[in-house]
Amino acid sequence: MKMPVASVPETLPVPQARAGEAGAWDALFRRFQLPLYAYVFELVRDEQASLDIVQETFIAATKYLGGLRDDGKFGSWLFGIAHQKVVQHWRKRKEVLFDEVPEPEDGLEEGPDTLLIRREQELEFMDLVAQLPPPQRAVVLLYFLEEFTLEEIARVTETNTGTVKSRLHYAKKTLRKLLEAKNENPA
Amino acid sequence: MKTPREILLERHRAAGPKLDAMRDGIILKLNHRGTEAQREKISLLSLLFGGFNKMWCELVLPSRRVWSGLAAVWVLILVVNFAERDPAPAGKATAAPVMMNLAEQQQLLNELFADRTPATDADREKTFSPKPRTEKFHTSAV
Repeated sequence: MKMPVASVPETLPVPQARAGEAGAWDALFRRFQLPLYAYVFELVRDEQASLDIVQETFIAATKYLGGLRDDGKFGSWLFGIAHQKVVQHWRKRKEVLFDEVPEPEDGLEEGPDTLLIRREQELEFMDLVAQLPPPQRAVVLLYFLEEFTLEEIARVTETNTGTVKSRLHYAKKTLRKLLEAKNENPA
Repeated sequence: MKTPREILLERHRAAGPKLDAMRDGIILKLNHRGTEAQREKISLLSLLFGGFNKMWCELVLPSRRVWSGLAAVWVLILVVNFAERDPAPAGKATAAPVMMNLAEQQQLLNELFADRTPATDADREKTFSPKPRTEKFHTSAV
């Protein structure tokens, strides 16, 4: 396992999009469409519903970009809109909501590691992610997909940083344990 | 070895064409909305300026000789008006005898009214002196 490499902050054409340039919107959507879809699908588990949510998220973004103060937080802002739509979808289908899942009480480690997964373990890893309870799954997905900071994940999921830290730690611990167990018993 | 991000994105790459189509649809709508707004702005401006132009073409240009004649008449009226106002200082000199005449007439009127005023006061005393009704009755009976 490796420590995460500090990613170079990317420059997104947010001011141009705010000015109404369709090309800028196209670039932003291209950049986020797949990670956003992956995030939504892993929480909703329904292809059509996921596509609808991503579409609604993009349309909402074009409407409300004026309200975004820090252009550097466009990614977390966009995922936040998608997250709200996922929660609405769950409410409609009366599925388990985030707040209803009990929080694990565990000792926390500082600096979460980056998992590296072997090719033969990819499917297993995805199954393991799918087994996590929704709150932990959301945090793990946001961390893996966009390497958001704890503060950003907290903003997306509308929780506090402490809760996010706890969820991320617990989820990673569970994943690591399960992967190690699979390595020891490859059958 | 792959990172979880790579695995996650790889797993959902199949949805790429659908996402592309969806994105194109939104961009098309955005473009349409942009051009609509632009068209609305242009039409508002053209409505203002076009309206003025249309009025000019339909109302003024066909009868431009009449309008220019009317304008010339108005200019002439204004010129005459200003020309009549100009000899104002000369008028001050001629006004002195008129003012004297007016003063004389005023004096005459005052004298006339001065003669009348005592008479009218006496009349008023006579007409407005109230008498008791009983006394009035006795005098008439006698």
